[in-house]
Amino acid sequence: MIGALRDWADRFVGRGTAAVTVPPLDGALKPNNRLDEAPRGIQADQPDDIIVANGTIFYSAASRLFQVDENGIGVVAFEATGTITALAVSPAGLIAIASEPGGISFVDGGVATVGQQAWTCVTAMAFANDRTLLVCIGSTRNTIGDWQRDLLNAGKSGEIWTLDISTGAAERLARDLAFPNGIVVEADGNIVISESWRKHLMRLSPAGKRVGQVMEDLPGYPARISRNSRGGYWLSLFAPRSQLIEFVLREPGYRKAMMAEVAPEFWIAPALRSGASFNEPMQGGALKQMGILKPWAPTRSYGLVVELTPDFEPVRSFHSRAGGRRHGIMAAVENGNHLWLASKGGNEVVAIELTHPGGLR
Amino acid sequence: MASASNLTKLRYRFIPDHVIGEILSKKWIDNAIPFLVLVCVVLVFGSLIPNFYSSSNLSITARQFGEFGLVGIAMMVVIVVGGIDLSVGSNFALGNFMMLALLNLGGWPVELAAPVVVLICGSVGLLNGFLIGYMRLRAFLTTLVTLIIVRAVVDMLLLQYAQAMSVSFYESPAWDLMGLGGFFGIPFSFVMLVIVAVIGHILLTRSRPGWRLMAIGGSRRSAHNIGLPVRRTVCAAYTISGMLCGLSGVLYAARLSGAGTDTGMGLEIAALTAAVLGGNSLGGGRGSIVKALIGALIVLLLTNGVLRLGLNSGSGPMVLGLTLIFAVFVDVKWLKNRDKLLSKVYVSPTIIELPKPVSTDPRDNTAFAINDRLNDVEIIGLGEVESPEDVILDEDDHLYCGTRHGDIVRFLAPDYQQSEVFAHIGGSPLGMSWDRERNLLVCVGGMGLYKIAPDRTVTKVTDETNRSTFSVVDDSRLRLADDLDIAPDGRVFFSEATVRYEMHDWPVDALESRGNGRIICYDPKTGKTHTAVRNLIFPNGICTSQDGQSILFAESWACRISRYYFDGPKAGRVEPVLDRLPGYPDNINRASDGTYWAAIMGMRSPALDVALRMPAFRKRMARRIAPDQWLYPNLNVGCVIRFNDKGEVLESLWDQHSANHPMITSMREHKGYLYLGGITNNRIGRIRLPGRDTSWSGYRNYWGQSS
Repeated sequence: MIGALRDWADRFVGRGTAAVTVPPLDGALKPNNRLDEAPRGIQADQPDDIIVANGTIFYSAASRLFQVDENGIGVVAFEATGTITALAVSPAGLIAIASEPGGISFVDGGVATVGQQAWTCVTAMAFANDRTLLVCIGSTRNTIGDWQRDLLNAGKSGEIWTLDISTGAAERLARDLAFPNGIVVEADGNIVISESWRKHLMRLSPAGKRVGQVMEDLPGYPARISRNSRGGYWLSLFAPRSQLIEFVLREPGYRKAMMAEVAPEFWIAPALRSGASFNEPMQGGALKQMGILKPWAPTRSYGLVVELTPDFEPVRSFHSRAGGRRHGIMAAVENGNHLWLASKGGNEVVAIELTHPGGLR
Repeated sequence: MASASNLTKLRYRFIPDHVIGEILSKKWIDNAIPFLVLVCVVLVFGSLIPNFYSSSNLSITARQFGEFGLVGIAMMVVIVVGGIDLSVGSNFALGNFMMLALLNLGGWPVELAAPVVVLICGSVGLLNGFLIGYMRLRAFLTTLVTLIIVRAVVDMLLLQYAQAMSVSFYESPAWDLMGLGGFFGIPFSFVMLVIVAVIGHILLTRSRPGWRLMAIGGSRRSAHNIGLPVRRTVCAAYTISGMLCGLSGVLYAARLSGAGTDTGMGLEIAALTAAVLGGNSLGGGRGSIVKALIGALIVLLLTNGVLRLGLNSGSGPMVLGLTLIFAVFVDVKWLKNRDKLLSKVYVSPTIIELPKPVSTDPRDNTAFAINDRLNDVEIIGLGEVESPEDVILDEDDHLYCGTRHGDIVRFLAPDYQQSEVFAHIGGSPLGMSWDRERNLLVCVGGMGLYKIAPDRTVTKVTDETNRSTFSVVDDSRLRLADDLDIAPDGRVFFSEATVRYEMHDWPVDALESRGNGRIICYDPKTGKTHTAVRNLIFPNGICTSQDGQSILFAESWACRISRYYFDGPKAGRVEPVLDRLPGYPDNINRASDGTYWAAIMGMRSPALDVALRMPAFRKRMARRIAPDQWLYPNLNVGCVIRFNDKGEVLESLWDQHSANHPMITSMREHKGYLYLGGITNNRIGRIRLPGRDTSWSGYRNYWGQSS
């Protein structure tokens, strides 16, 4: 009773759960233009995931898996039956591919083995060991293309499964997750997943028990996590949070009407790219002045990748700000002294040269 | 839910939410809470006390109020200047005694005695004023000292003369009138109070000394720094306070004809309570006669009421004390939160259901189909001008535009490489037009309608119109004059986009989408300005139609263009011309072939169209999130359309990526070219129009070859 009253009062004055505060980008997340300053990368059709297998970069774009050759050109390595939604590589170099439709396939030296499971909305995968594949299902209600609808409906139907690739036996580790969108296995065997709609990273025990949050209240919607050479991680954030979206998420009446009447690309929702059409919603600060869009303008899309320590403390970040090209970073992976990124919004696979760890730039 | 329910529509039609914000922005709203307390007090005691509303009780109360109200005003005057006067009670007693002494012992006539007593009490005030104003002593201590000394003097005088005074009895018609009579049944003291209050109100709110009083109370140091005579004014305030106490004492003497040691005892506390209860800030700078009177009336009713209810002795001061602490509490909270509240509730969206926009998809084959005809716009004056909302050309092909610095910049023909400041007006120059005498008439946001003669002299044409009958806020002053055009007989019709927002906040008006704007007519023959059409939704562009009997005007947030007849058989009527626009229309101008150009300054986004149907959603948005984050109309992309008198759109010119010339708020055809202006741009664009009359110019089209 008191709780309901408090909720009502909170909604009335806009505090507590009704507050629409968004964490600022400061400290290690201070904005820069490193993503947009990086040299021209490989043009790709909505590149989604990116991995390193045997020292070679592989990335997925639409229904194809590409391999980056020594000249820096993407060569088709595999063609799936549907859109590739996630990649993973085993310690032995076996590549797992999730496609929709099509399920999970394995590529080993050019030979494909089609898996048994017909999951949809697979958002990320990781090998726990050579035999065990961990699979993130973003939503059991919506397809992966409908992720904005899942967010606006406050979806929490995501699941984590484990798959024994030799027997095909699958087991559900966790359920009721708000769009798990990235997964990484820690050195001690614990699993860390990113839950996009809750904007945090969470640690699960190898058996799937929730251990606790490792990062909370992120300034964007987290996507995939990969390990780096210093024992830490790279975390991609595919879209920024904004006060307007947080506000719309608390307005059921408007949200329903908007989803019923407006085409999804024009929703007030995070996006992988923005600014292409005048039918997109615009916020006050994004009004161009003297022909210039301020880089700090409110935006529905952004490019952001963050380096984390082994303890999940951010140490540095690369940004593509409002009006930039390389938005919607879905995945990042380190190879040698380069960080390779899949910019799904910018239709580009980008490599950034990394300076010495700990160095400022 | 495809459309809002009828109930919601009715609610937004008949409940004027925006008035709340406007009332809160008025100064007199400070009186709202004291007034409410007064009403409560009246209701409570009216129900508790028998005969409360009887004429005899009202008459007695009014007579007492006449005396106490004067003391309340006396206290308010010094509080406003940042001080306090504790000696009002003693001074009042002194006035009472002196009046009786002069009449009974001195045998003076009333007409002479009363002014002398006022002067005597005034001199006590002068002493206070001298010590506080010139000697810079603390007001509290100084008046405490005068409280004690004057009280002592009165007591000594009483000891000496009380006996003598009580045996004599003064009688005269004037004295009886003051004490017992009145005018038309209204007690004399009350009439006195009304006269003082009216004069005082006018002095305080509408005269230089009054403003200085307020300014010094608000910030003594700033007032001193700007050169106000702080010492003299402070001294004068205390003197006036003393004189008012004296007058009150005279009236008290006339009513009761008795002097005792308890006369005026505790009056300073009651007066202080009254002043604070009325909402006069103890810190100074905020107060009024009305506040003082409301406070005085509350205190009087409370003390009398408690007395008549026959409660224990001591309960009177107790009630007074509790009321005082309540008043101080409310005063502090109100002062702290009033502006916060105002900023939260000022934006008050209303319901607007826009019809489905015409498609801009090239596949649908409408006149609005997106194209790239503006890709090759030539750029003029890049970086030299900021915010050229409108552009215009003269007969010598020179190009003029306004800038946000308040200049009218002229680019010289033929190549427009050189520019000069043609004239400086100030404000934000927006729409422009030539009149017959080649004067340039300019609508200036924040200022009004201005005229620049060919010799570059700037004169104000008009900056106010008639005030709307039922407006809360004075809307006679022009806030955002936007665009104008001139009728063949010289009358100037111009739009004021909104009366609720200033120049730099104009897109916020889109969040409201209420009919906040109007079209105003200035007649040079009579020099008069009047409002022609009201309650328009951001009226923007204005263009006199080719037949010279009507004007076409754009209502931006309603996405339509309408026609207003000012002459001919349909004079005074408004007719729709064009609606279902896919964007927000801005300026309209004539085209060389008898049609019209209109600028579309921004495009509708479907998400905003949904929000426009949901005013409560927009209201919460305005409260919850920062203005920078509000959902806005998309004003980054626009286009130019051409339409005819029948409301048919003939063509549109687009620059989809808006790279070359970002936004368009106006366009002007001149000798085969179209010139483009945009309010957020730092450039002017022009593009050749193939196949159009290369000798056509706006001035000649309006006013003919010769002039």
